[in-house]
Amino acid sequence: MATLSSILEAEDITSLHHLQLFARTVVEGFTTGNHTSPHKGFSVEFRQHRPYVQGDDIRRLDWKIFGRADRFYIREFDEETNLRATIVLDASGSMGYRGQKGVLKFDYARKIAAAMAYLLMSQQDAVGLITFDSKVRDFIPNQTRITHLHHILETMIKTEPGHDTDLAPVLESLAQRLKRRGIVILISDFFDDPAALLKAIGVLRKKGHEVIAMHLWDRDELEFPFGQWARFENLEQDEDFLLLDPATIRQRYLEVLKIFQEQLKDGFRKHQVDYLPLCTDESHAAALRSYLALRMR
Amino acid sequence: MNFLNAILLAGAAAFLIPLLIHLLNKRKVQTVRWGAMHLLKEVIKQRKRKLNIEQWLLLAVRIVIPIVLALCLARPVLTALRSFGLGKSSLVVLLDDSFSMRAPSAGGSPAERARVDIGHMLEAQPKGSDAQVVLAGGNARRLLDQSTSTLDVIPKQLSDSTNQSGPVKINDALQTAAASLFKSTSGSRELAIVSDFQASDWQSAADGAALPALESLLKQEPKPQVTFYRLASDLTENLSIASADLSALVVAQDQPIGMRVRIQNHGKRQWQDVAVHLEADGARLRTSRVSLPADGEAIISFTQAFDKVGDHSLAVRIEGDSFADDNGFYSVVQVRNQLNVLLVDGSPSTEPLEGAADFLELALTPYQSASASLKDLIRITKVEAKRLRETDFKGMEVVVLADVDRIQGNRLTELDKFVKSGGGLIIFAGPHCDLDWYNRDFFRKGEGLLPVGIKGMQRALSTSMPARIRQQRLTHPATLYFNDSRGGRLQDAEFQSWLEFDLAKETNVKPILELDRGTPLFIEKAHERGRVIFAATTADAEWSNLPLQAFYVPLMQRLVTYLATQSTISAWDQVGAPLRIVFPKDRVGREYTLTDPTGQTQVLKVNADADKALLESKPISTPGIYKLSQAGETHLLAYNLDPAESNLVALPTEKIKALADRHQASFVDSFEGWQKLDRTRRHGSELWQPFLMALLALLFFEVLLQQRIARG
Repeated sequence: MATLSSILEAEDITSLHHLQLFARTVVEGFTTGNHTSPHKGFSVEFRQHRPYVQGDDIRRLDWKIFGRADRFYIREFDEETNLRATIVLDASGSMGYRGQKGVLKFDYARKIAAAMAYLLMSQQDAVGLITFDSKVRDFIPNQTRITHLHHILETMIKTEPGHDTDLAPVLESLAQRLKRRGIVILISDFFDDPAALLKAIGVLRKKGHEVIAMHLWDRDELEFPFGQWARFENLEQDEDFLLLDPATIRQRYLEVLKIFQEQLKDGFRKHQVDYLPLCTDESHAAALRSYLALRMR
Repeated sequence: MNFLNAILLAGAAAFLIPLLIHLLNKRKVQTVRWGAMHLLKEVIKQRKRKLNIEQWLLLAVRIVIPIVLALCLARPVLTALRSFGLGKSSLVVLLDDSFSMRAPSAGGSPAERARVDIGHMLEAQPKGSDAQVVLAGGNARRLLDQSTSTLDVIPKQLSDSTNQSGPVKINDALQTAAASLFKSTSGSRELAIVSDFQASDWQSAADGAALPALESLLKQEPKPQVTFYRLASDLTENLSIASADLSALVVAQDQPIGMRVRIQNHGKRQWQDVAVHLEADGARLRTSRVSLPADGEAIISFTQAFDKVGDHSLAVRIEGDSFADDNGFYSVVQVRNQLNVLLVDGSPSTEPLEGAADFLELALTPYQSASASLKDLIRITKVEAKRLRETDFKGMEVVVLADVDRIQGNRLTELDKFVKSGGGLIIFAGPHCDLDWYNRDFFRKGEGLLPVGIKGMQRALSTSMPARIRQQRLTHPATLYFNDSRGGRLQDAEFQSWLEFDLAKETNVKPILELDRGTPLFIEKAHERGRVIFAATTADAEWSNLPLQAFYVPLMQRLVTYLATQSTISAWDQVGAPLRIVFPKDRVGREYTLTDPTGQTQVLKVNADADKALLESKPISTPGIYKLSQAGETHLLAYNLDPAESNLVALPTEKIKALADRHQASFVDSFEGWQKLDRTRRHGSELWQPFLMALLALLFFEVLLQQRIARG
């Protein structure tokens, strides 16, 4: 059976215990939890008193006020619900890049995804997982059972990156599948058409989902440090390669890269998506921590 | 293209370095399995083709850089000219062999250096080239009969040159050089003017006077390359004898002859007590001392009488300066018993000085007229024109016709014979002259005795000034004496009437004196062995006050003695000219011995020349007294340097350069300079500078290109 330790280091797991993920927006939940629900009902969080009107459930009468004031007041509570979080993990070929520092991008993404799943499950939230390349590979519906975490981890472990990226249709199909509002955590390098991607994210946002975009980079992709002539073979398509002198195009590459980043950033900001660029040479737990701290404000 | 450091061309192999780096880089291609392919494709989407071109261009630039660097270090020279001229060239050296080139200098005189440098120049000529040297001093002449491709002959011939010629007549010399170059068949022609550029020779050209010979030379195809090659002397001080004028050309026994010596200081230093020696017949007679101001002159006079008939030498020498070659002046004095002159009076008179020849008689025999004890050299026989007989010419040396209307019959024939056999004739005009007869029978369209035809008589208008003798430097031997004002002011004579000559068709006549109206006063023409002088005025005071002037006596005496001696020997001549003596025809084949001042002798043969007999030597190159002898008959000859050559002041370098520029010529003042110039002309310009510029441009371009490619 897959355990968290097969993906995360012990140190990472300890660090994640102290984190709390709070949804910024109110989501619908079906169990009590740390996430407040607009539906008033039984809950542990007191909201207000109001005079009793006919038809109110007498179980909600506050007898202590009746004893002191001889009037009937009803106690109202905010209902607490659990979070429906869906982790969307990119398993396309581009995630199979292993940089000069030896870190596989997909490994890094898997660790982030595992950390997120563990965190959410430990909060009694319902966690689901989707892995995809040009289409959805695995879909694990949202559940809160602790055994569900193992299922998620097992799926992640067996997944290997490959094939072309086509994130937009994946997100559109996800929007169809998720009947209730929740949080969608995208872990990807987003090496796709930004316009189509942002359009799909717009669909998710319209359905009330909160979206967190974790943009994964390798340092090589950010700095393009290659010196000698190189044959760049496409990880997503066989027989697709470019033979060139990297030094001569580095400047131009960095400019194109910046445009791509800006395009994504602007699009995410427009759709009120939390954007977290991550680099594989950074500590993933530390990066996650700083993001959660940001969301807790 | 040629290279001065060809070995450094090997450095061009360094072009392999960037090429190898490029090829190795391509061979050592690393494979990167890459995810962000869409970014790379975006980078090269529009620029792939351009990038390829730029990368190849960058590689090309990197390959070219070491090649250009190697070319630059190898000092390339353009050899375009060689391909045109096929290497061979025709060189004409116009060598100034005038006396000033002998001036001593630290590294040898300009003449010595010129010989050495010309030797080097010829050695540097490409194989198969031909060369000629034109000696420009005095009368320009070719060193060799024609250009030679055996170049080592020229230095040997030049070594015999004494460099004592007169001033350079630059246009004449250039014409000779142009003619030599014109015959050349080589693809490249060069003219080197090797000279000290003495100011007296070159000043007028430097001041802007045209050099038509050089201008026409530059129009030749292919255009000759002209170089002004200056060889200067560092000598600035020089003393010389500018002239030594004799008071008479011929003197009688024991009659004193005066010599007026003009000593010139051509420097900025004052000279005190310069010794001046007079030597007669090789023996020093006396010494005087003179002081000379800076850039000034001193005049000293000597008198000397000879007691023996014959030729005697008179020499003057000065002592003191370091350039002694121009410190002597040589003359020959003819001592005669007497000169027989026939005066033919066309309008005799019983009144004193009323006859046409009376003034002349007085002037030619002054001592006799004054009843002095001194003896006149000239013995006069005076006849009236009407009583002239053909036998009167016998034993005469000069005949003077004064206002003779005409001479007819046998008398004219005899007179013609007299002149042709070497006699002198002076014809004075006058109111009785039958001008038609003069033109028709005396002139005979140039065949007769009269030197020129007569246009008519001219008169000064009563309101205008009378005609005077034009003031100019006199060159005729009979008038040299009057260049110094102490000989008399010729301009004092006034002429009311004169004959105007028809000079249009005459080329062999030589004016002796000219009037300020542009017409000659005395004109001379050779008539076989004899000479005729024609005066446009009268011998008496009829048309002018000439006979009343003090200089009339020496002028007439000199004209007569000139005619009496010109067919034999003159007092002196300038070096550079050949010895030429015309003899009667019967002397053809006789041999004369010429002994030069150093004692060396050469035998000269009298040759037939048309209807004359001519004795001619090679140009005389050394000043001094020469002895011409044959069977007990001895004549002396004197040769002197041209005094203008003693002034060593040269044109400033800037002026020579400006002159060269004006005539599209180059200027050099050393053999190194010539070599450099020659290298440039023959092999082309050194190209390392443009190559260096190209290298810098390539480096700059490489940086720009790299940045451009990196920018994408």
